[in-house]
Amino acid sequence: MEPIATRVEVAVGPRPESALAARSNDRADAPPASGTDAPIDAPNDAPIDTILAIETPEHVVFEHRLAGPARRLLAYVVDLFVCYGGLAVLGLLVMLGAFAIGTQLGGGEAIQKLGVGLLLLALFAVQWVYFVVFETLRGRTPGKLVAGLRVVTITGRPIGFAEAVLRNLLRAADALPTGYLLGFVAMALSPRFQRLGDLVAGTVVIVVERPEVPRPLLLWPPPAPWELEALPARVALDAEERAALELFFRRRGTLGEGRERELAEMIVGPIAARYGYRLPDSVRTLALLYERALHTGRADALPPAPTQVRGATS
Amino acid sequence: VSTVSRVAEPAFVARRRADWDELDRLARELRARGPKSLAAAQLARVGPLHRDVCGDLAHAQSARYSAPLVDRLRLLTADGHAALYGLRPRGRGLRGALFGSGADGSGGLVHAFPRAVRRHAGAMALAAALFFVPLILGALVVLRDPTFAFRIVPESMLKPLAEHYAQGFSGGRSADEGALMAGFYVNNNVGIALRCFALGIFGGLGSAFYLVFNGLAIGAIFGYVASTGAGDNIATFVIGHGSLELGAIVLSGGAGLALGWSIVAPGDRTRLASLQAVGRDVVAIVGGAAVMLVMAAAIEGFWSGSSIGALTKRIVGGGLFLLVVAYLALVGREGREAREARPEGEAP
Repeated sequence: MEPIATRVEVAVGPRPESALAARSNDRADAPPASGTDAPIDAPNDAPIDTILAIETPEHVVFEHRLAGPARRLLAYVVDLFVCYGGLAVLGLLVMLGAFAIGTQLGGGEAIQKLGVGLLLLALFAVQWVYFVVFETLRGRTPGKLVAGLRVVTITGRPIGFAEAVLRNLLRAADALPTGYLLGFVAMALSPRFQRLGDLVAGTVVIVVERPEVPRPLLLWPPPAPWELEALPARVALDAEERAALELFFRRRGTLGEGRERELAEMIVGPIAARYGYRLPDSVRTLALLYERALHTGRADALPPAPTQVRGATS
Repeated sequence: VSTVSRVAEPAFVARRRADWDELDRLARELRARGPKSLAAAQLARVGPLHRDVCGDLAHAQSARYSAPLVDRLRLLTADGHAALYGLRPRGRGLRGALFGSGADGSGGLVHAFPRAVRRHAGAMALAAALFFVPLILGALVVLRDPTFAFRIVPESMLKPLAEHYAQGFSGGRSADEGALMAGFYVNNNVGIALRCFALGIFGGLGSAFYLVFNGLAIGAIFGYVASTGAGDNIATFVIGHGSLELGAIVLSGGAGLALGWSIVAPGDRTRLASLQAVGRDVVAIVGGAAVMLVMAAAIEGFWSGSSIGALTKRIVGGGLFLLVVAYLALVGREGREAREARPEGEAP
């Protein structure tokens, strides 16, 4: 295989596929890694991003979105409410129970002591056991479920008991000197948003994404003959242009009409000039060029312009 | 421009969709309920399906299909990866965690704990020194000058303690008070031990501080109570659970020291890799120490303060001490053949 240029330019688009493809090709030339799957370390000049790219043993690259401090704080606050809310309810039950039994049968003081012992056990569980149990069994605590987060290893696998224990024991260090300050600093310095516990356990917290049903963009209304007349038969957009246009068209519904035209005006110039094709409506121009570029060389390409059809048959 | 796949996106989706949905379903099932929830034939499908989806992802990326499709395949690949490579050989559940699944019990905490302790014997010895030397020194100094104890432990706490031990155990401790104290000991002592480990990440300094400070405080309490003439009583009280409780604090402190040392002297690894390797190696010690402390709390709550005779307590306590030492020294030892059969380069 001819090695492609090793210099990696990262696309400005929504998702740098081209960069990732290039990176995985780089690795093909490098000496084989000993491990089977590995997180890919971003090159030093890569943009600061919140994406963890993982190369699988099958030599494809997939990505996880890393969760930042704000979202993790939200999860933590929810967990605190769950824990200490539960503790408060338990405490209330113990007090009421001790009072009720004490007035009925006597010996309320003994019951109360038993209850306080139980509460102390619960306090311990809340501080040290809660996180470990949920993260071992489910990969996420209730707070993380609410915030849409999950803990995985840096190789994208579910975490086990040892990882859950390590990352949650180290909370004691992360929480120093107060309010998880050290953990926050560690996250800020780490390229993967890892606090000390994550660093030791080799884990990351990712954002759980729900797959959407793929909905290809549809050119609507269908192209009129006069629009197709001047449209070149082959349009070649590079990956960045294509990604930018796709993002633009997918966001169209959320943009105002004026803003939409304004954005289209900004990018239509160079692309239209390259192909000598420009309709009065710049959004429509981009849509047609994009459609053509996407289907150039594909079985479902737009019907060629009528003039070309005539030329071909005659 | 590179060549583009001639297969149009809708045709591609139509052809492959059934496989994607099947893998999605299987991966979900695996994550939620584990491998036992799937029939053998289904389980065998996961690998091939995952490989096909990996291929689909690569294809979709190079064929410049739409972002949602690439995203969906990316997530499916991630799910399949987690489901397939997340499968662990060990059985789930408490039994698996404690005893492992291998015939020799490898992989379970019961065996992994003493093995890890022996692997880090140096750190454990240092932790024991950091704990017991201040303890003995503190006790000796306080015996000579009881007021010195007030500099370490507040007077308001020491005086009632001394009075408590002066009374002896003839009154015993009721079951409810035992439960209260056991809860307190679990929360307090296990918390201390776990923190003692965790703060070892700062080059071992946190663990060293906790060890020295706790040793000194316990020594001061000992010395002060002994100076008031109740030395026999406190010794009787402590001996029952002492080997478990003090031993566990030393062990988790030692694990913290090992963790800290892995950053200070990482050897031929990077500091992060060294930290991760040692963290994984010593986590069994912390788990074992936590179990020891919970046992100690039960003994301390229900046995040590009870009105059982002093001689019985001392005999049982001594026996427990020997048991703890024997467990740490002997359990999980490998036979000579197992050691020799170990592949080259693996740490002993």
